[in-house]
Amino acid sequence: ATENCSKILKYRCSGCIAVGKPLNSRNFSKLLHSCPYQCDRHKVIVEAEDRYKSELRKSLICNKKILLTPRRRQKLNNES
Amino acid sequence: MFQGQSGWFSGSVSRELRQFWVAEGGTVSDSRAADFLFSCDASHPDTLRIYESLDYIEDNATIFHAYYLSAVANAEIKNSVALGHFILPPSCLQKEIRRKIGSFIWEQDQNFLIEKPEEI
Ligand SMILES: [Zn+2]
Repeated sequence: ATENCSKILKYRCSGCIAVGKPLNSRNFSKLLHSCPYQCDRHKVIVEAEDRYKSELRKSLICNKKILLTPRRRQKLNNES
Repeated sequence: MFQGQSGWFSGSVSRELRQFWVAEGGTVSDSRAADFLFSCDASHPDTLRIYESLDYIEDNATIFHAYYLSAVANAEIKNSVALGHFILPPSCLQKEIRRKIGSFIWEQDQNFLIEKPEEI
């Protein structure tokens, strides 16, 4: 448990200290994006995920359909 | 602890963790309706489907590593565990992220949550 506490102290952005708030899979990403002082850890994750999302968004627009073909999906996974 | 919350569980999550969720008052639902999305494997087909969904693209679906639940189970104060430490990014990003920040917290947790054998 001590290890856990020191971790919490070490990473103090809203993604880190938002303990006990009603956080879930639906609001977490927005909370993190609105945090002005993201810790290094969350910043790296958010940046990587945002890049992935914009790639995906682009390919959705290119394909002009919501569902990607398996081949395209494979390609997307291998990139980056 | 999870009263009134619904969770979706990838096929990669162990039965024990799912049972813990239910034992703590959580319900299980499909991935569109769930408040929480849990997976233990970002490359599992059911998890991949979420990474490719509009919900995910529009920042409405963060997947968390189900070790969050074992961290809660092991914590002295159950709601002291920060959910935010258990983000599970798509597997194609993990290598790059790991290069920048070292191992994920759920990778470290894996080591101390599972009883370590004493031998070196
Ligand atoms: Zn943080």
